[in-house]
Amino acid sequence: MTEREKLLNRVRMYDFALVDVIEYLDGHPKNTAALAYYSKMRTAFDKAAAEYEDAFGPLTAREVDTRTGSWRWIDNPWPWEGADN
Amino acid sequence: MWSYDKRLQFPVKIKNPDPQAAKIVITQLGGPDGELGASMRYLNQRYAMPYKEGKGILTDIGTEELAHLEMVSAIVYQLTRNLTPEQIKESGFDTYFVDHTTGIYPQFASGTPWSAMTFQSKGDPITDLFEDMAADAAPA
Repeated sequence: MTEREKLLNRVRMYDFALVDVIEYLDGHPKNTAALAYYSKMRTAFDKAAAEYEDAFGPLTAREVDTRTGSWRWIDNPWPWEGADN
Repeated sequence: MWSYDKRLQFPVKIKNPDPQAAKIVITQLGGPDGELGASMRYLNQRYAMPYKEGKGILTDIGTEELAHLEMVSAIVYQLTRNLTPEQIKESGFDTYFVDHTTGIYPQFASGTPWSAMTFQSKGDPITDLFEDMAADAAPA
């Protein structure tokens, strides 16, 4: 597994936990265990996403570092192309 | 509004093309129980939802279905890369290819284009929720 895949899989793992708990919280907005889990997963997600983005470029168009002098958002590979993401 | 994350919800890495499989899998994209219909169902029904919990769930699930749509599209895309004319003919993919080449087009396995007729939005949350239960009991 490449370093890129490894870092991206961590992003995906925490994101999947977040998607699940977000939908649960929609229906159970006062559940303290779910609120705590959300908070924990979001911290982990933010850290994993920042690590990936520092190494391999932006995951969203709002996280582009313009100091590179290039619009890196459009850089290949795009997700459907099957190259590590 | 929406924003895009440049990654798949789950990785899709297909080494060998399989146009015969693509012809079947495409229905999970644009078929009667596919991800496009699922997303449109929830995102259109949410306007009739009076409760905040329901508004949240319909918005977030409708959004997640778009992530599913992208994974299925990626599967079809990767299953149909680098095909030879022989592979296209022998696999039966020729009936799709003649209309779309290898472009991703939301359709049923039978070739019928995706249709909003595959879901309902009745302006009544109970009616809509029953429709959702019927839809999600199908393999979607």
